[in-house]
Amino acid sequence: MADEIPEAPAAEAAHAPDAGLHLSLQGVVQRFPAPDHDGEITVIDGLDLEARGPGIVMLLGPSGCGKSTLLYMMGGVRPFDVPSPTEGVVLVGGQPCEGAHDDVVMVFQRYGNRPDLTVRENVAYPFRFKLWRDRVDPSEIDRRVDEMLEAVGLADKAKLRPSQLSGGQNQRVALARSLVLRPRYLLMDEPFGALDAQTRDEMQRLLHDLHQTHPCLVVFVTHDITEALTLGDRVVVLSTRPAQVAADFTISEPRPRSTTWHRSTEAQRLEESILKTLHGGSGHGHLRVSV
Amino acid sequence: MWNPYRRIPALQRRLLGAGAVALVLGAWALVSGAGWVSPAKLPTPWGVASAFGRLAMPDQSGDSLLFVATKWSFLRVFVAGVLVIVVGTPIGILMGASPRINAAISPLVDPFRSAPIVAVVPVLVMWFGIGELTKIVFLFMGAVVYLIPMVRDAIQAVPRTYWISARDLGATPWEAVRHGVIPMAMPRIADAMIVSVSIMWTYITVAEYYNAEKGLGQLIQNARRFSAMDQVFVGIFVIVALALVTYQAMRALKRALYPWEAE
Ligand SMILES: Nc1ncnc2c1ncn2[C@@H]1O[C@H](COP(=O)(O)OP(=O)(O)O)[C@@H](O)[C@H]1O
Ligand SMILES: [Mg+2]
Repeated sequence: MADEIPEAPAAEAAHAPDAGLHLSLQGVVQRFPAPDHDGEITVIDGLDLEARGPGIVMLLGPSGCGKSTLLYMMGGVRPFDVPSPTEGVVLVGGQPCEGAHDDVVMVFQRYGNRPDLTVRENVAYPFRFKLWRDRVDPSEIDRRVDEMLEAVGLADKAKLRPSQLSGGQNQRVALARSLVLRPRYLLMDEPFGALDAQTRDEMQRLLHDLHQTHPCLVVFVTHDITEALTLGDRVVVLSTRPAQVAADFTISEPRPRSTTWHRSTEAQRLEESILKTLHGGSGHGHLRVSV
Repeated sequence: MWNPYRRIPALQRRLLGAGAVALVLGAWALVSGAGWVSPAKLPTPWGVASAFGRLAMPDQSGDSLLFVATKWSFLRVFVAGVLVIVVGTPIGILMGASPRINAAISPLVDPFRSAPIVAVVPVLVMWFGIGELTKIVFLFMGAVVYLIPMVRDAIQAVPRTYWISARDLGATPWEAVRHGVIPMAMPRIADAMIVSVSIMWTYITVAEYYNAEKGLGQLIQNARRFSAMDQVFVGIFVIVALALVTYQAMRALKRALYPWEAE
């Protein structure tokens, strides 16, 4: 798995942020066996998407349109019992993505922290795997874990267990556990979708801060238009059934974005265009606009 | 009343439990003491108590009959229990972790859950003789066919996101099972171990049916032969008490090992 990755220390890669950061989906088709009858459903049909350089790309679409499926493809994890993608290619840094890629790390809505481990042990969790143990020596692991705990504001909670933390704090642990590997690509699947509005704001701010210190290419899936406008350098709007890129907006306003900007005509117009694009589709699923 | 989720106070729970037990004891005392049923069929509670005293008392050689029988039964369950856990748990884990291994092994294991395992005893006697080996093998077989599928199910009940996320973080498939799945399944695996040891206590009398010189099963067997119904009851009660004590001890151990399970 991913043996073609040169033995370059991951730490150096992180400090050369835009060295060929490139994600590419070309003519991606995804079909699944239809659940209730024979035959297949085409969830994604000929989708093309390019993303380069450090930045945050928001993938926005109604629930069920195939966002998670796309993200899994880019992450190289294939949890389904069917080939993915059915057709087309996925390139990470110009290389075909076959299997989980060491440069790409995913963050899910269900944080998946191990309940039996402390916060610190959870952040250090990836180093239980031989791949990382061979690459990073123990003192460096300790240093990185401390640094990440500090960065996500959980240094004083290091000895607690996940059940003693709030949802937002658990998601911080999951974020730290991913970033401790210094990934060049971070794929986030509605990571803040289960959090209350205030915690979501805090987490969006945290993600912005972390992205400043660890510039990487983030692909962030959401069905929340406000979240897309808050975080995205780009907002890619997906149509539904089958999914294709319906619109692609670039937002030049620097982060963090003020409430004033959110109320500006630019932001209002963006929101309207996004809504119009979405309603131009067949109108499955639902979207959220939070104030 | 009809709220399945309500927690009732500990005192109330104990009183209700003790009340029910007292009620049954009272009914028993009444039925047997009033002479409605012959003592050869149903001994009185005090008859059982005094039989317990007699059996527990050291005899001429200084040994308590009951204590020696208990020790042997306990040892057999202990040895078989260790074997069941040591052998069954890894098999169940491998089956849970690999659909292929599961497909290969489950036809060899699953049918035996409903097989008349007691009917196998004569076969085991033919193969392994009438000594300790047969008893241990019988207890082992009786329980391991329950443990293995339960361990497998415990592994498969872990949400797949844990495995996926481990793979994504660079784990090999086995590492993802080892670090992402097995630790999450441990509380349920511990439950499976507890259940299979409980099952062994129900099989102990059968295991000691053939040619046992010592053991609670043999004690019951002997007492029955001499129509000493009070001693039969003593044997049954001691087995029930032992089963309860092992169950509670294993439960306490499990809670100490996996305090995070409640969430
Ligand atoms: N393994 C699978 N088998 C069959 N259908 C699937 C599978 N995974 C996803 N789908 C279907 O594909 C569609 C897109 O799923 P998903 O990518 O999870 O959507 P989103 O993340 O945008 O909500 C859904 O309609 C879902 O039912
Ligand atoms: Mg999804």
